[in-house]
Amino acid sequence: MLWGGSLFAAAVSPVEFNRDVRPILSDRCYTCHGPDRASRKSPLRLDQEQSAHPALGRILERITSTDLSRRMPPAYMGRERLSNAEIDVLRRWIEQGGKYEPHWSLIPPKKTAPPEVREKAWPRNAIDSFVLARLEQEGIAHAPEADRATLIRRLSFDLTGLPPTPAETEAFTADRSPDAYEKLVDRLLASPRYAERMAIRWLEAARYADTNGYSNDGPRDMWRWRDWVIDAFRTNMPFDRFTVEQIAGDLLPNATVSQRVATAFNRNHRTSAEGGIVDEEFRLGYVGDRVETTSTVWLGTTIGCARCHDHKYDPYTQKEYYQLSAFFNNTPDRGFVYNFGNEPPYIYAPLPGQQAKLDALEAKVAAARQKVASLEPAVDRAYAAWTPPADWNVRDGLVTGQPRFDYKDPFTFAARITPKSPKGAILSIGEDYFEGKGHYLFLIDGKLRLHVTFRYSDLSLRVETADALPLAKTQHVLVTYDGGMRAKGVHMYVDGREMPLKVLFDYGIWPIENKEPLRIGAGGGLRWDGKIEDVRIYDRALSAREAALVAMTDAAARARTREAFLDLAPPPEYAAARAELQGLESRRAQLLATIPTVMVMEELPQRRDTFVLKRGAYDAPGEKVEPRTPAVLPPFQPNWPANRLGLARWLVDRGNPLTARVTVNRFWQMLWGVGLVKTVEDFGSQGEWPLHQELLDWLAVDFMDSGWDVKHIMKTMVMSAAYRQASKVTPQLLEKDPENRLLARGARFRLPAEMIRDQALAVSGLLVERVGGPSVKPYQPPGLWQELFGGKGYVADTGEGLYRRSLYTYWRRTVAPPAMMSFDSPSREVCVVREERTNTPLQALNLMDDTIYLEASRKLAERMVKGGGIDAGTRLVLGREPRAMERAVLEGALEKFRARYQAHPEDAVKYLSHGDSPRDRSIEPVELASWTGVASLLLNMDEAVTRQ
Amino acid sequence: MNAITRRHFFGRAATGLGAAALWSLAGETAEAKGGLPGLPHFAPRAKRVIYLFQSGGPSQMELFDYKPRLKDFQGTDLPESIRQGQRLTQMSSAQASFPVVPSKFAFAQHGQSGAWVSELMPHTAKVADDLTFVKSTYTDAINHDPAVTFLQTGSQIAGRPSMGSWVVYGLGSETENLPAFVVMISPGSGGGGQPLYDRLWGAGFLPSRYQGVKFRSVGDPVLYLSNPEGFSGEQRRDYLDALAKLNQGTMDEFGDPEITTRIAQYEMAFRMQSSVPDLVDFSRESAATIESYGPDARKPGTYAYNCLLARRLAERGVRFIQLYHRDWDHHSGLPKGLPKMCLQTDQPTAALVADLKQRGMLDDTLVIWGGEFGRTVYCQGRLTPDDYGRDHHPRCFTVWMAGGGIKPGITLGATDDYCYNITDRPVHVYDLQATILNCLGVDHTRLTFKFKGRHFRLTDVGGNAVKEILRS
Repeated sequence: MLWGGSLFAAAVSPVEFNRDVRPILSDRCYTCHGPDRASRKSPLRLDQEQSAHPALGRILERITSTDLSRRMPPAYMGRERLSNAEIDVLRRWIEQGGKYEPHWSLIPPKKTAPPEVREKAWPRNAIDSFVLARLEQEGIAHAPEADRATLIRRLSFDLTGLPPTPAETEAFTADRSPDAYEKLVDRLLASPRYAERMAIRWLEAARYADTNGYSNDGPRDMWRWRDWVIDAFRTNMPFDRFTVEQIAGDLLPNATVSQRVATAFNRNHRTSAEGGIVDEEFRLGYVGDRVETTSTVWLGTTIGCARCHDHKYDPYTQKEYYQLSAFFNNTPDRGFVYNFGNEPPYIYAPLPGQQAKLDALEAKVAAARQKVASLEPAVDRAYAAWTPPADWNVRDGLVTGQPRFDYKDPFTFAARITPKSPKGAILSIGEDYFEGKGHYLFLIDGKLRLHVTFRYSDLSLRVETADALPLAKTQHVLVTYDGGMRAKGVHMYVDGREMPLKVLFDYGIWPIENKEPLRIGAGGGLRWDGKIEDVRIYDRALSAREAALVAMTDAAARARTREAFLDLAPPPEYAAARAELQGLESRRAQLLATIPTVMVMEELPQRRDTFVLKRGAYDAPGEKVEPRTPAVLPPFQPNWPANRLGLARWLVDRGNPLTARVTVNRFWQMLWGVGLVKTVEDFGSQGEWPLHQELLDWLAVDFMDSGWDVKHIMKTMVMSAAYRQASKVTPQLLEKDPENRLLARGARFRLPAEMIRDQALAVSGLLVERVGGPSVKPYQPPGLWQELFGGKGYVADTGEGLYRRSLYTYWRRTVAPPAMMSFDSPSREVCVVREERTNTPLQALNLMDDTIYLEASRKLAERMVKGGGIDAGTRLVLGREPRAMERAVLEGALEKFRARYQAHPEDAVKYLSHGDSPRDRSIEPVELASWTGVASLLLNMDEAVTRQ
Repeated sequence: MNAITRRHFFGRAATGLGAAALWSLAGETAEAKGGLPGLPHFAPRAKRVIYLFQSGGPSQMELFDYKPRLKDFQGTDLPESIRQGQRLTQMSSAQASFPVVPSKFAFAQHGQSGAWVSELMPHTAKVADDLTFVKSTYTDAINHDPAVTFLQTGSQIAGRPSMGSWVVYGLGSETENLPAFVVMISPGSGGGGQPLYDRLWGAGFLPSRYQGVKFRSVGDPVLYLSNPEGFSGEQRRDYLDALAKLNQGTMDEFGDPEITTRIAQYEMAFRMQSSVPDLVDFSRESAATIESYGPDARKPGTYAYNCLLARRLAERGVRFIQLYHRDWDHHSGLPKGLPKMCLQTDQPTAALVADLKQRGMLDDTLVIWGGEFGRTVYCQGRLTPDDYGRDHHPRCFTVWMAGGGIKPGITLGATDDYCYNITDRPVHVYDLQATILNCLGVDHTRLTFKFKGRHFRLTDVGGNAVKEILRS
């Protein structure tokens, strides 16, 4: 099967390499005669000019050979013979000199003058000239403009993802001013709904979700990034800036919180908390995902294929893949991640109101700190006059009962020890074997060692002092942990001096929940040989100064310290100021706990080395590489930094031939259901050659010329006469151009999953519109989560959370929302940019029987009963008056439902019981139930779920 | 379906409105059964597959791969000559020692073929002559998520179509009333087990209509299948008649063939509404049959129930029937945990094979039993006189196959005395996948789909069908 272009161009001579020849050579020959050195089976390369090579002349003989051992592509590789049409193209190409052209998408786009057309009155902008010129060449007529009601419904879905209200439709239909259409477009582009509509496709490309995605699929919080995306579309952030902030916002000078939030784009990939995985293997997998996503979204290239070998079709080597990956391989995130929330690095991303509160509180904290400091001289005077007691020790946080700590609790363990043996347990709160669950302070090989273990093999924190402690000597040991789930939060002191540490294992990231008693001198299967005195346990991490205090051997000296004074006899004014400061600090901590966080990108202070990985395997490093962009694409300017910021600048550089084309093509797909290049994810050799390349290039250049103005390019597209065409199709045109690649009619395609649900919410009046915020949990059939995971399962929200736009639906990757999945949503596991649409019985069942559609039908029915009946329902759902046939069919159905419910009134009540919203008691149940059936019919109509 | 609706339905079908209503094949093509032209590539020996996936990694040493010499090695450290520095999971790589632990369970030879089967699998032992054991299966992955994903989709990374999707994409459907690819999940003895993921039966980059349809034990067997409370089947018929007229009106105006497809899909949905309840209605199964599947067979959601349902799906022409039974992941507590899992699965599994055979269906139904990897010979965690655990082991595990296309009564491949390395006839996951496709008459190198410029296939760039066990 040839690609779309040749369907219309086959008869046109001469043969064009990019349009006609490359698709055949690439698909059928490049595996062995292409860019991949390793798999090249002969010196003959067909991906670039090799005019001197004698084999070129033998191509025809080989591809037409009936001798299976000689025929190309070879039968032994399972390859089929070329079709006669393909052979004919290659024959004519060779006859015409076998000329090569560089691949079209690697040549920077040029804005060519729109072609002349015969029907000069039709074009409204350049788009139309390109479209019409081609139609005139093909001898096909364009379609007339769609009627006003169709246009406003089409525009409303395309630009805002929601249907127009009947009033809006009426106003637009009645508006006879010449710029009525443009005013409508401007109104829709200015709506906050526009930003939500644009955001969801971006979320899919960015594989945004509310869970980690592998194995246990634990939760994460990334919705502040979703808010950022919506806001960026709302404010029409130029696409180049949109790019730079998401790829490298953290590297911009004086990066704002917002710019750092933007970088969550590259943390949206799946992560794994499966016990036993190899951290580095998965970490490199995440780096690979970033390369794959970035190259798909901005470059429309499949360079991800070069992870294990040179690319088979496009001019990218494996080394270039790893050079590109080096840009993303310099972050501190880990492969084996926390299962219950965000994995570092993450930042606080306060909501606007929270930021103001936080700022106010910070100011108060600073003032209170100032106040405390100002009292120091008075403290000094009082201290000098103070008579100390005989004994004192640090009291704050001292645990006197049975200590209970979990993995996120800070603590301090302290004791004075005199070891006789280099191995023993000082204290423990855990199972009595070495690899047991719990908290342990040991001496192992003379070194002070801390274990905080859930499962020794993979979920444990283990740290020891770098050096051994002397035996038979009395010394004070003290260990603190800040509860931050990282070994860097552990400090150890011997006789008050901080010791250098060695991290043995750093995955204290799982709840321990242990019920073991405190044991002194025992635990972990070990016992203590020697003396242990003065064991102290605190429920906080003591400071270094406090550690030194606790270690002091002279109790009287300790009782004379300034700390003792401040603890026992602080001057009242000072005590008040200190209490004030502590109160404010604790309020700040409480506020911080309510502030959402988001995982972000961050550069390591010291660049991590990147290597070519043989066969892509994490443990088979080859040559070391530096961050670099592929050679076949325009050069990386020397004044750009060799990091993500430079990469971002390179992506949106005027010289980059791909970014603008790939981006406008995706926008086009949103409006036409299919891109000008159908393979929106692949502009390479194996991708579709665009039938309308000049149009695509014109749009790409116009987009860049406009300053990457997204609203401008969207408006340009929808203002065109081509876009406004009616979508009715004749059998003749359907046969000639079934996929509408020539654009001789308006596009007609099923709504995306989220719009189907959002429309039902909107026309029934259930929709709760609020931009942004955490994800919500609408209805879902029971048991879906438990089947795969056990546990408590999915708990739906009550109230507003049931009725927000689908953009905000909680997305668990391994069990994605079923209604979204049955209508072809990507699962958000990996980057997906192609819009797919299928047509299945499961969709029918979903729309007829899902709670939300039953509830929406009921609420829609209430509206119909209260005024306007069938006509009102049709206006709400279809945006037009019903046809006579439709009115008759719906009235007939209404009568049948009525008869049924009159005979079975108890069924009417049941049918009205679906969904949480209250039923309108002013309407008699039999009547409302009958109308609910009619409303459901409306919502299930093909036209209802289609934009046309 | 009552008489009125049946007449309505057939009346409609006869007028052509329902005629195009074919499941899973889809919508857009007019092809009667769906599937690709030119497939099957050669005469199939199996028409359908029942894959009994034992999720978590059942221990081959306790079940099928008899290793008498392990008694001699008990408690000794796994020699480096055997381990050869091979990769371990992060879990046991931290272990100080790797003490060998033999199976606590006895083995005996069974049937004419003399297959070794553990005492934990007495029912399976009785049908041993119908089975072919591949003791030398191995995989690339060592953790659950990547390993199950690899076995089911041919890639450790999400995004590829599952085996069932490939099969249905290639071969289409044999039923117009049920999904062509059905998935059923049962919880293990602990009530849980390692998680599963929708992607395991997902369509990946294939059109989403090829994805597996989960038959569920909670609520509707198929999502949204039942008419809502207060809305009768009779009403649904009226409803669909009205809807078809409305949509036909749109079709007349717009001429978009998608509209005709949508009408057909609503009819298909209606047929599913009656065929699925019939499917799960066991009242016409003989008591003897149901009992043969064991005490759980009447309890929806159990493995036994799913096995019986699998036979009924097979009878109705469902192409790919995928069961998952969870909780074989015995890192610890194996001597107690494993027998419970066997108790749940052994009898139903054997009953399914016998039931299919007795009905003459085993000849064209391929049955596969196995997990995503094996388990280590050395103990993981604490080794005590009564307790031990085993870690994941990708280097060798046992899979058995039976029925359509497979020569029965063979034991293929072998592992060393430690059950650690393969010593004879390694069978990679790709080989297993190629073999399954081969039974269905499909050359695994020629069932491809172009995506992102590449012609993808289930077996990526590997795989050879295991000729020794294929019936000619």
